[in-house]
Amino acid sequence: MALHSARGKLISVIGDEDTCVGFLLGGVGEINKNRHPNFMVVDKNTPVSEVEDCFRRFVKRDDIDIILINQNCAELIRHVIDAHTSPVPAVLEIPSKDHPYDASKDSILRRARVSFISSIPKVHY
Amino acid sequence: MPSKKEEIGNLLDLLYLEMLDLIEQYATSRVNIEKLMNSGQLMLAKTRYLKGSQTISSAQIPTENSNTFNALCVLEEQKNDTKISSVEYSLMRRNVDKDKEFVEPMHWFTLLPPSSLRTASDHFKKCLELVLESANVQRELLAVMDHIDRLKQHCKAL
Repeated sequence: MALHSARGKLISVIGDEDTCVGFLLGGVGEINKNRHPNFMVVDKNTPVSEVEDCFRRFVKRDDIDIILINQNCAELIRHVIDAHTSPVPAVLEIPSKDHPYDASKDSILRRARVSFISSIPKVHY
Repeated sequence: MPSKKEEIGNLLDLLYLEMLDLIEQYATSRVNIEKLMNSGQLMLAKTRYLKGSQTISSAQIPTENSNTFNALCVLEEQKNDTKISSVEYSLMRRNVDKDKEFVEPMHWFTLLPPSSLRTASDHFKKCLELVLESANVQRELLAVMDHIDRLKQHCKAL
């Protein structure tokens, strides 16, 4: 049973040129009536504050359910991503051309590891 | 909510096993996403080689000053009672229809797309299916972790 059958929710992208171009070719891009795009191209000259503002804006938008972000961009705003604990919108860290995926940096896997380690009883010898 | 500590312990064991299984699925989906993205990016590079380096660049992507357009690919949230999170995403694709502002993204870059650009587009479309699978796994993983936390707190309160 569809919960939001009227319009559907969007996938947004924050990443380098190739990641954005690729997913836009996939058909996720949109510029809405308020002229707000659901994608942002990050290059080496993009200030961190701009990436952070864009991420916060996407989190606030209720028409976005998934935020795709390159892991190297996620590293720039790690404190903001770690603070986002709600399951919606889901933040998915994806690799980029120059930075392969590193599971040890992923926010979700780090939280899972903490949860798992805390379950192991401490043994005193 | 179970009342005995033994029952809570058994339930926690099951949830931890489920969590480990989900972590494995999560890591596998990331590896598959990486493979498909690499293939797609290779095809984008081939298109640049064929049509010139400026053909595929962020300069061709629409900006806030461009005409409005709608996404061709959107998510639909569906109820699924077999999942702990009780919901899952599915992908909904719309057809290109300029009157309804559903435009073909390939035409931003070139009006006669070469086969390499079409292949790149296909790779990223397949990648979106994996992204969706990964988002479903992530949502389930978060729901399992939340359930574990609540059970632990309940166990402490007993």
